[in-house]
Amino acid sequence: MKECLSLVQRLSAHPDSRCWFVCWSPNGTLLASCGGDRAIRIWGREGDSWICKSVLQDGHQRTVRKVAWSPCGNYMASASFDATTCIWKKKDNDFETLTVLEGHENEVKCVAWAPSGNLLATCSRDKSVWVWEVDEEDEYECVTVVNSHTQDVKHVVWHPTQELLASASYDNNICIYKEEDDDWECRATLQGHTSTVWSLCFDGIGQRMASCSDDRTVKIWKEYPTESSQGDLSWKCVCTLSGYHGRTVYDIAWCRLTGALATACGDDAVRVFTEDPTAPPDEPVFSLAAQATKAHNQDVNCVAWNPKEAGLLASCSDDGDIAIWRFQKEA
Amino acid sequence: MAGGQGSDDLFDSILLADERFRGEGYQEGFERGTQRGLRDGRRHGASHGARLSSEMSFYHGFAVTWKCLLQQKTDEKSRKRVKALEALLGLIMNSHLDDPQSVKLQEDTEKLRAKFRQVCSMLSVPTDFKEYVRTAEKTSF
Repeated sequence: MKECLSLVQRLSAHPDSRCWFVCWSPNGTLLASCGGDRAIRIWGREGDSWICKSVLQDGHQRTVRKVAWSPCGNYMASASFDATTCIWKKKDNDFETLTVLEGHENEVKCVAWAPSGNLLATCSRDKSVWVWEVDEEDEYECVTVVNSHTQDVKHVVWHPTQELLASASYDNNICIYKEEDDDWECRATLQGHTSTVWSLCFDGIGQRMASCSDDRTVKIWKEYPTESSQGDLSWKCVCTLSGYHGRTVYDIAWCRLTGALATACGDDAVRVFTEDPTAPPDEPVFSLAAQATKAHNQDVNCVAWNPKEAGLLASCSDDGDIAIWRFQKEA
Repeated sequence: MAGGQGSDDLFDSILLADERFRGEGYQEGFERGTQRGLRDGRRHGASHGARLSSEMSFYHGFAVTWKCLLQQKTDEKSRKRVKALEALLGLIMNSHLDDPQSVKLQEDTEKLRAKFRQVCSMLSVPTDFKEYVRTAEKTSF
């Protein structure tokens, strides 16, 4: 039986602008999008279709590059090219600005909430990664600034269960950080991509990581135990997917429910890869299960799996649209 | 045959003059170049050293002053800030500033600058100290 990607709905999310990123709320009922029009839009399902529930404006002076929901779903963080990160709090059915995090020298490229909800990570074109601590009074304090990359840091993501942070950069590397005596330190530098690493994500249990790059490949990294618990972490590339993508791969998402891997590519396509369950763990095999070659009219910037509804995928593009897809077995 | 030998020498010295003078010129130029290189290197080192030193001294003064201001306070927030300031002071004390050959100098300096930015964020002080900070950008040759 073959699988396919079918379009559920297309939304003109950020007209006459770019839609940079989409993010599902933890319970999967809301989708947040952000774009070059400096706005954040919240989408919800009404009947069979998705509609815009609210628009968050006036938070940023420039492009909103990424948004992230807190694990509890009551807060949202937005990273902007205006060098700030905004924290929004849900109130009734709307959001209000709680605080603005300043400190980065220029464009903030990404923001991510740790699974505990007590830590927030941001990264910037200023080459640094910041970790912020949240206290009970909703106050945010910077606990560390790390300069482990030599170029623009594109993406940060937390491990699903441990307090482990990973970042991707224009310097072609991936860094993994761990807390050490009140400070966060880079404990592993993953080299392998030959151009900018645009995004990365962990699998459901955090044993593996997938990264995507301007070198048109996707790499799967696996953690290997090290002899001493104090030593550096050891992650090795166990699989490289090349030949599938015609342009830069901008984003990658690993479905926690199905294990399927989705990619967003500069060739306007959305692709889904599935893993061969019979392959040995140290040599995983992924194959292209479905693709939408003309998913959007321009570069696809982001893909996101719904965390509760298996197979529901959202993508967004430079054309300003969001597309909602269903990945399923062909009838 | 002695005369023949002499005329050979005479011709040799004319024929080889070009090579000899080139050798001497090279030697002279080499010495002069070495001198100039040393002088330029010293100037370059002195200016970078001075800039780095003034940047680090600024961090030191900043940290000591803020620590004095916050030391008496007992609230959790001030305690955390003092801890971060102490970490910054620790990094300044342990940096290999007096050893320009140190392979750790660049790494130490980057760490220190990052710590300073974190401290500024905690204290809500804008990091706009252009005259002091980041003037000693990566040493260029």
